Amino acid sequence: MTTARAQGPQTRAGVLPGSLRRPTLAGLVLALAAFSASAKDLVTESRGPFLHNIQLHDAQDRVISPPAVVSDDGKPQDPKGNPYSTAQTCGKCHDYEAISQGWHFNAALDNAKPGRPGEPWVLTDPATYTQIPLSYRGWAGTFKPGDLGVANYDFVTNFARHLPGGGVGEPGKIDATDPKMGRMQITGALEIDCLICHQSTGGYDHEGRATALKGQDFRWAPTIAAGLGTFASFRSAGSIADQWHPGRPAPTTLPSIKYDRSKFDADNNVVFQVANRVPNGDCYYCHTSETALGDDRWHGDLDVHLRAGLLCVDCHRNGLDHMMVRGYEGEVRDRTVTDTAIDLRVRMLRRDNAALTEEQARPLAKQQLEKEIGLVETLSCRGCHTTGRLGSPALVHKGLPPIHLEKLSCTACHSGPFPGSSPVVVHTSLAHKLGLPAQMRGQETAPIIVEPVFLYGADGKIEPCKMVWPSYWARWKDGKATPMLPAEAAKAGTFPKQDSADAPRDPYNTKPLSDAQIQQVLASFPEDAGKGQAVFIASGKIFRLEQGKLVSAEDAAAKPYAWPLAHDVRPKVQALGARGCADCHSSDSPMYFATIAARGPVEPAESLSKGMWEMRSDDKTLASFFAFTFTFRLMLKCLVFACALVVLAVLTHYGLRGIGAITSPPATKKTAP
Amino acid sequence: MTMSRKFFYGIMCAAGVVLAVTGIGTYALGHPPMTHWALMTHVAAAPLFALALAGVALTWAGACTRGAVSGLSGLAKFLFWVILLCGLIVLLTGVVPMTPVFGTRGQHTLYLLHRYSAIVLTAAILLHLPALFRRPAAKV
Repeated sequence: MTTARAQGPQTRAGVLPGSLRRPTLAGLVLALAAFSASAKDLVTESRGPFLHNIQLHDAQDRVISPPAVVSDDGKPQDPKGNPYSTAQTCGKCHDYEAISQGWHFNAALDNAKPGRPGEPWVLTDPATYTQIPLSYRGWAGTFKPGDLGVANYDFVTNFARHLPGGGVGEPGKIDATDPKMGRMQITGALEIDCLICHQSTGGYDHEGRATALKGQDFRWAPTIAAGLGTFASFRSAGSIADQWHPGRPAPTTLPSIKYDRSKFDADNNVVFQVANRVPNGDCYYCHTSETALGDDRWHGDLDVHLRAGLLCVDCHRNGLDHMMVRGYEGEVRDRTVTDTAIDLRVRMLRRDNAALTEEQARPLAKQQLEKEIGLVETLSCRGCHTTGRLGSPALVHKGLPPIHLEKLSCTACHSGPFPGSSPVVVHTSLAHKLGLPAQMRGQETAPIIVEPVFLYGADGKIEPCKMVWPSYWARWKDGKATPMLPAEAAKAGTFPKQDSADAPRDPYNTKPLSDAQIQQVLASFPEDAGKGQAVFIASGKIFRLEQGKLVSAEDAAAKPYAWPLAHDVRPKVQALGARGCADCHSSDSPMYFATIAARGPVEPAESLSKGMWEMRSDDKTLASFFAFTFTFRLMLKCLVFACALVVLAVLTHYGLRGIGAITSPPATKKTAP
Repeated sequence: MTMSRKFFYGIMCAAGVVLAVTGIGTYALGHPPMTHWALMTHVAAAPLFALALAGVALTWAGACTRGAVSGLSGLAKFLFWVILLCGLIVLLTGVVPMTPVFGTRGQHTLYLLHRYSAIVLTAAILLHLPALFRRPAAKV
């Protein structure tokens, strides 16, 4: 979002003409209604920021106006009001509907292309040793929440802490008879909270939002997080919803917000300090990926691009439709021109050419936009560094045979932690609730995700990935494992309890299960021929009982889910290969010979372990032999250079002789005196 | 023809066949770039070819000069110098990319140069072999 146009319309909707300054409330509402009809058409089209000094609107589009300090009859009044609605407030000028189709919100939309596999949501429950990768996008290796019986509402309550809102949190229509979704009549929908990304001052209260969302105060969370007020009730919306029964009318008296009067001016305007180029910190709340754990974090250098002064959004930018550029090569194939973008372009075309009809303008608009979408490729690593966008240095790669660029993604050599003999544990915001205060997370804190694992991408290039192994109890029938959700597993089986004395030391219950414990848990599940045999899937294996004995084997159901990593990008001197060919072509190079031990809640001896070459189904003999040949690389170079020198000398010698023979005057015969 | 000349020439041809099969073969069969075993075989045969080419250069050059009475036809002599020149280009474009001198663009140029000079080299060797058995035209 680099320009006002790219960002979307920015308007001065909040500042009313002087004649409307002190109207009656009804008059104000009417005037606003009339004014707001055209607000979307107003744009600043400047690169400079626009002061968002605007009125707040609640979900019913009423202007929020905290009552005066003292009532007409002299009684003190609390500044209470409904929570503000982002859809009604920000949506006055910015096309909320268009934005809600964006990459951050469209996972569950049928018309959204899944794109390259990305980070899943991991349903984690240390008590039942569960970690299941979930995604609405249908990436192979993840589970769709609905397929596991996770209702959208449960998904939202589980992950709202890092959900920006919209999507499944904001269904188009709330089914009042649905025991889960019907609760939203009380809790409200989880609207897109624009400020979670666009607040520019660092004043956004993520912890306050997470606390509100934990209580299912969906409707109230944006107001609380923005620091505009506090939740004015001792009962959360979730607890009120607990007492509601599906089919019955929802209570109409709901908690209010106790607003901070100092945030409002005399016209009930509130200043939102927002930015197009959002600060990196706003991205990092959800997109932190940290391998330097705990106190080691100070050793981290961050991404080289950020160190050079770029912002995340300089590359990961978007238009009004909020289809963020993900930045991988081939992304253009995964993008479509949205109807909203076409509508906007049609308006522009018709504004400039009155003769164009809507029918004529639409295909033209689509054609233009499809052409422009190709520009996305120039924001990939290769795209940027070959076009020189943003002042990026050109690709040089001295001494690197070009075949490497055909076989490896840029990230293979440049991104993630420098590979070692085995991948390292990485914590991410989405998986480990980073950004929210909690006891220090450690190497074994579930879910255990590792990086880098070098795998082939969809384009056939080797790329570094993050990897997580699913872990869950399941019913095995007809060669298929049906996962049990944590609550179901806890109800059906008997799990080892953590020693209470050990809990303060290990708050995440990371002690792995022994064979005996797995056997005990499996034996505790009741027989159910209809559902199938109880099994445990973890660390790349399936564990089951055969005649009372625990057996384990590698199984497709236990396959890890991997997704490419792209950051942090290391400086070129720290790239793989900067120290020489042996970085990859040696008998112990991580690219081929690192050991990948499947990680999960079982004792390491029981985990599956593979070489990096094996993860890619490469030929080990070939890799070893190829690495071995590099022992002779220097000798080869010297020998070939020496031979070339000999050939050159012969060519020069005879060449000069030939030239001499041609250019010298013919010898004259001596005659006898 | 002396034994050493025959020896170096034979080695050069044998290594050249391996290089052509792995290099041009991969290209011709539609599976470039060369990788895996084909690449390793190519790289293994390369030093042998380089040594043999140097040997051929030293032992054959004198016999391939203009006017030298060596029993070689003019075509054979001409093709020898073509082999030598292309061989030099092939050697250098094969080994220079292993040094940190050229960047991606330069490397790509070297790769193309390697490919096309190798094709000319192979053609020159293939034509040179029958030319060896052609007697020089008798002067009238």
